[in-house]
Amino acid sequence: MKMNNAKLFLNICKTNIRTISTKRRKYPLDPEGVNQLPVFDYAVSKSTYNRLFVWGAVPTGALGIPYQTKDLKRIEQIRYPKRSSLAEYNEVTKIGCGFGFTAFGVNSDSNVKLYGTGLNTDSQLGYHEVRTNKPLGILYFPQPIHLPFMNPEKATIKKLSGGRAHFVVLTNEGLFLLGNNAYGQCGRSIIADECYSGNKFIHHIKNIDGKAVIDIQCGQDHTLAITEDGAVYSCGWGADGQTGLGHFNCQDQFTKVQGDIASERILKVASRSDFVLALNDKGEVFGWGNTEYAQLSLKDDIQQIANPTSIEMCKSLGKIKDIASGGSFCVVLTEEGRVFVWGYGILGTGPAVQYSKTPLEIPLTLFGVNDFQPDTQVKSVTCGVNHICAVTNNGDLYTWGRNKGGCLGLKDDKDQYFPLRVAISGYVKHTACGVDHTVALCKPFI
Amino acid sequence: MLAKDAPTIWNALKGIICVYKPADVSCNRVAKTVIHKICSELNEMDCRPPIDYVSIEGDPSGELTVITKPSLADDPLVVGPRYQPKDIRCTWSSYLGVNTSGVLLLGIQNGTKLAMRIRNNKLVRAYRIKGLLGLATDNYYKDGKVVEKSTFKFIKAFNIEKLLASMQAAHQRKMFDTCGVDLQSQAAYELAVKGPIRPSHSKIPLIYGIKCVHFEPPEFTIEVHCINEYEMYLKALMQEIGMKLHSTAHCTGIQCIRHSYFNLDHALLQKHWTLQNIITNLEECNDIIEEHKDLTIQENIALQYG
Repeated sequence: MKMNNAKLFLNICKTNIRTISTKRRKYPLDPEGVNQLPVFDYAVSKSTYNRLFVWGAVPTGALGIPYQTKDLKRIEQIRYPKRSSLAEYNEVTKIGCGFGFTAFGVNSDSNVKLYGTGLNTDSQLGYHEVRTNKPLGILYFPQPIHLPFMNPEKATIKKLSGGRAHFVVLTNEGLFLLGNNAYGQCGRSIIADECYSGNKFIHHIKNIDGKAVIDIQCGQDHTLAITEDGAVYSCGWGADGQTGLGHFNCQDQFTKVQGDIASERILKVASRSDFVLALNDKGEVFGWGNTEYAQLSLKDDIQQIANPTSIEMCKSLGKIKDIASGGSFCVVLTEEGRVFVWGYGILGTGPAVQYSKTPLEIPLTLFGVNDFQPDTQVKSVTCGVNHICAVTNNGDLYTWGRNKGGCLGLKDDKDQYFPLRVAISGYVKHTACGVDHTVALCKPFI
Repeated sequence: MLAKDAPTIWNALKGIICVYKPADVSCNRVAKTVIHKICSELNEMDCRPPIDYVSIEGDPSGELTVITKPSLADDPLVVGPRYQPKDIRCTWSSYLGVNTSGVLLLGIQNGTKLAMRIRNNKLVRAYRIKGLLGLATDNYYKDGKVVEKSTFKFIKAFNIEKLLASMQAAHQRKMFDTCGVDLQSQAAYELAVKGPIRPSHSKIPLIYGIKCVHFEPPEFTIEVHCINEYEMYLKALMQEIGMKLHSTAHCTGIQCIRHSYFNLDHALLQKHWTLQNIITNLEECNDIIEEHKDLTIQENIALQYG
């Protein structure tokens, strides 16, 4: 009883008296020592510095990440964004992807303005050899591509775009076209039985019809160019009408595209495979090419359209800001930041929807718009053949689609049925997509 | 006005109260202080008198008299005060660390069950965390030993804002990994469309919103909405922000400004910890719990944020 009372008393005391605990420190405080500590000044990156991230299939060499042959069986895919060392030594400003190869435009004082890596079977990255007369079919890490500039020191790369086996560079000195010309996609006469492997020829087009070229886009085996007056010129493979010239033959010279866009001022064309989307200055969308996956949704079920056709169903969506066209689907981005998809494949609206003839909106919550961050907006969209990338104004990259070669960068090999953010250490500025790889150009955090 | 009768008050004392926890005091001490206050005030009121002691006196052969008098065995002077701290059960619905101040929910008597249910429901809490750039300490807090000094003049407000936006998006993506749903299923899509979702795991901290609310180098304040966080995690977060900005930082203060529907307006300050205020607060909190059923019963893992 006595014991109990003593405990009770202690308990009451505990609630009233504040005990001061003295914590023993392993490293005692040292207020005087603070003043003697050195002040570190960590480096801040230059305003022109960009980070380059690559991910996707390794064996094509398109990632430009050196590896040993014995590793190849082990590492077939890089499924997460991997920082490329090229941008640490060079100031990479432009990126472009083809089917299994990548090119990087750099800002430099020397005469090397362009690097390429990946498949080079048709000399789409120029002529490279280690031994005399043994041209390389694959470049495993970025190699300089020497273009025949008039003034190499002052030349600047404006845009890079690659197709299945050809590659186009837009510079201040005009167009340079490399690689396969079997269908006239390099804008020069088709030579029967021309050997493209180890081909040293680089075609140069200064301007088209006396007008400077401001934008280029490569489809699978065709090339589209926009001139300064907003006209579209095309050449190459036209079996599905993707040249938009009113016929289904190959075209070996850049020819003006007529049809509904004849009098429109076109700002952007998008094509990754055999369907082309075009965007004019009023925010209207036009399309031509292979529409077997209802990319145009015409009433009379014609599968090939060789004349640019206005896409009426996009007019109700509002003014369009950005467009992208993949292998079997189309993506448009409206002025308000809403994203619409249609066509066939993984559209981004869940696994239940595989096919849509009309534009389907992808809910903005999937791009991180919620109560915590209401002002997020999608800024641009890019398409690979089977996957889609979207970049928001906060520099976040969202990907979805077929995960061929790990090109989604989501750290697994599964397909993704709705947009998911890619873990990337930087603010994404540009993305470029191939068939099975993706490249992103980012700004560092500070 | 409060009834004078202590047993009436005692019976009404069950539910959740919302108090303001000061910094550098542990949750345990806050709970004990509140309980002590309740007991001492209850004991000052009209308590139950001692039970009657009935004695039958007189000669059994003659006339007997029945006398009732207050029982000495039930006298407060013998058995102690009527209301004692150990009689009151009390627990918290979210543990705040010693250095954290702010909204603390305490469950009293039968309210402890409610507190447990709120704790298991993983509700969103909001914190305001203050940091100081340029100094790194060994325990990430201001009372630690300074281990590194660095410059911070080059850090601008937009740098920190963009970094936090990026961190937030990364955490929102992480919530899909922790929700326990197959990402390739239609169910995952339907969940994702609803917006933020709750984690199925109760150990992995998850940040839903993080933004900079005040930036005046070297001082800065960020506001964090999170689930499953703990004090050390928030301190380490400040350290990490400092490192990502190519400088160093440590935490100088953490304040919980919101616990689901309870915010600083509901929280009782230490000077107001009286029985009168506690009873009023109890009723107020009960109204909030009645109004928002998702505090106690959750049918959806989507974050129904008020």
